[in-house]
Amino acid sequence: MSCVAHNSASAAAVATENIYLPKLVVLDRVTDDIPEVRTFYWHFEDATEQAKFKHFRPGQFAQVSLFGIGEFPASLPPSPTEEETFFTIRQVGSCTAALHQLKPGEKFAVRGPYGNGFRMEDYYGKNLVFVAGGIGLIPLRSCIVYALKHRDKYQRIQIYYGSKTPRELMYLPNLREWQQSSGIECYLTVDRSADSWSGNVGVVGSLFKQPGVQVPVENTTAFVCGPPVMFRFVIKDLLAMGFREGDIVSTLERYMKCGVGKCGHCCIGVAYVCVDGPVFTYEQIKKLGEDI
Amino acid sequence: MKARILEHGDVLKIVDLLREQGHEVFAPFAGRGRDTWFDLVTDENRGRVQVHLPNPYYPPKRFVLPHIERLMKVRKSNGDIQIEPTYRDRKRAIFGIRSCDVAGIWHLDRFYLGRDFRDLYYEKRRKNLFLVNVVCTDPERDIGEECFCPCADTGPAARENFDLQVMDLGDEFMVVAGSPAGEAFFANPMFKQATEAHVEKRRAILGEVRKRFKTTTSWFPATVRYVSQGTILDKTWEEIGSRCLECGGCTYVCPACTCFTVSDRQIGPGEIERVRIWDACALSGFTRMAGGHNPRRAVHDRRNRRFFRKLAHYFIQRELSMACVGCGRCAAVCHGDIGMPSVVEMIRRATAENDKLQPV
Ligand SMILES: Cc1cc2nc3c(=O)[nH]c(=O)nc-3n(C[C@H](O)[C@H](O)[C@H](O)COP(=O)(O)OP(=O)(O)OC[C@H]3O[C@@H](n4cnc5c(N)ncnc54)[C@H](O)[C@@H]3O)c2cc1C
Ligand code: SF4
Ligand code: FES
Repeated sequence: MSCVAHNSASAAAVATENIYLPKLVVLDRVTDDIPEVRTFYWHFEDATEQAKFKHFRPGQFAQVSLFGIGEFPASLPPSPTEEETFFTIRQVGSCTAALHQLKPGEKFAVRGPYGNGFRMEDYYGKNLVFVAGGIGLIPLRSCIVYALKHRDKYQRIQIYYGSKTPRELMYLPNLREWQQSSGIECYLTVDRSADSWSGNVGVVGSLFKQPGVQVPVENTTAFVCGPPVMFRFVIKDLLAMGFREGDIVSTLERYMKCGVGKCGHCCIGVAYVCVDGPVFTYEQIKKLGEDI
Repeated sequence: MKARILEHGDVLKIVDLLREQGHEVFAPFAGRGRDTWFDLVTDENRGRVQVHLPNPYYPPKRFVLPHIERLMKVRKSNGDIQIEPTYRDRKRAIFGIRSCDVAGIWHLDRFYLGRDFRDLYYEKRRKNLFLVNVVCTDPERDIGEECFCPCADTGPAARENFDLQVMDLGDEFMVVAGSPAGEAFFANPMFKQATEAHVEKRRAILGEVRKRFKTTTSWFPATVRYVSQGTILDKTWEEIGSRCLECGGCTYVCPACTCFTVSDRQIGPGEIERVRIWDACALSGFTRMAGGHNPRRAVHDRRNRRFFRKLAHYFIQRELSMACVGCGRCAAVCHGDIGMPSVVEMIRRATAENDKLQPV
């Protein structure tokens, strides 16, 4: 790290990389996930950019530009071990709507990857318990796929995932695959059932008490992502089971403008979520000193 | 650092030399009353440049971080997109920047050029900026009611981070070189040899000037400790927050505030510019997220943010520089009297209420 001021005299070489400059990407195809949520597969126009970008870590994010509308942060749901790069985006406002309107072949722009991400090496030899609610599965998908690719590095892998209704279960093909895979225990639930649903009905936490379910607590890291209410209840359940606060990790969402620690928008307590996060342990989250 | 002596009437020749070298020179001018500002020096206004005057409220920060700055131009045609980053890297100089503002720019250097990412826009402007610091020596004209640089250890005389420093010794000026580029000026014969007596005179004047500040002892270190430990009572924060009218004025005049927002706007058919604009954590839109969830809702939460960001030890350590340089501007512009000195004072007073004595 060099942060020496450049007086007119001591002008060292100017950094050539412009941290705010997004690079053009081409939209390849779009798939519908759940209502209002779509997955956008894309690649950088410039192959060297694509190669550079592919070194991202699970849990990192990128800044997505729709010129004339604005820029917004989006998690990277693919694992770096996968071929394609894509975003899964819920349409909520102007930027996300503009992305939803793009057709394959059209261009937008991306910069990143940013944030700390999950250091998957730190969890080698451990049990991994993923707990997600709704679109909280987006950032966790990357870790799950990564962990399964490096299956021998981890002990037990469990997924507890819940959505409001069966129609709102994300990444259905993946869920089916995970449910059938022998290396992973995947439990699903919905808040409200529909006729076609034969699985569990209830909040995510209700899965922990299902017969046959046993959550490993010792030597385990729990990954929790979902809406604030779900987050609070799941944390309570996990702590009651005996999880240490430092063994529960999550990603925080904050209003972001730059993604590189300069604009100040994502600052919470003593952390800049975009560079110090978005991944934090629950122990850290508690110490940030502001509402999450 | 090397020091020379300049005849009293020659001080603006520094401006002339800078202009001859091709710098756009900005210097302070005075209007009526307290109205002062930095402006581009031209042949026409050169004679009206002021050496002693109240520091302009609109800080010189804008020469490294303009309040609206274009980052890039984007052209769209037939599905094709062209992105063209736009940089400003003209040679510029500020003549008459005060010591607090020198520290402000140093803080911005630490912030924008430090840590994981360097800001290229900032860097290009900064690298081309020459700073001529003027030491505040005139208690009537230079030092304001709200100034408290001695408490922030930034003034009245900056010790570093300028190219040249000019100080009025009464009948002549002492000029100190703070960088090789500054020292190069000493090749000009108008800069005369300084003596030990000059140095002694400077010391004596500064000793006197330091006594002329209204606030010379402040509770800064203790406040930093309390803010960092989180021991300031909610009641105190609420009291501070309840006085905030959310005008954002404090962040606008602050030479050390760094926050900005980014916005795209149409500038022609198929042409868009992306700009960054100064932003204020005191405003309610600052942390609002899509869907209306605003994690920092209460006014006192947002107000806290500004003081927390400036006073928490964590951030001071992170930048090795404090985000308040003691210029006093926020104190001068705040309608609710919660400028930095008042906040430090309110925290000091509130600690008295922290005593929980049990009479037995
Ligand atoms: C680290 C991170 C990862 C995210 N990952 C995903 C994801 O994978 N999928 C997904 O659907 N959503 C994700 N989000 C949320 C997503 O960024 C917002 O839904 C999106 O910014 C809304 O933008 P908009 O223009 O459609 O909304 P509008 O409300 O119209 O926003 C207007 C402006 O505000 C800004 N803005 C609004 N909300 C946010 C916000 N939460 N964060 C930053 N800027 C905002 C936008 O830049 C935009 O210019 C993530 C957010 C963060 C912080
Ligand atoms: S916080 Fe107030 S006194 Fe401190 S540098 Fe900013 S404007 Fe000046
Ligand atoms: S998003 Fe700009 S500082 Fe984090």
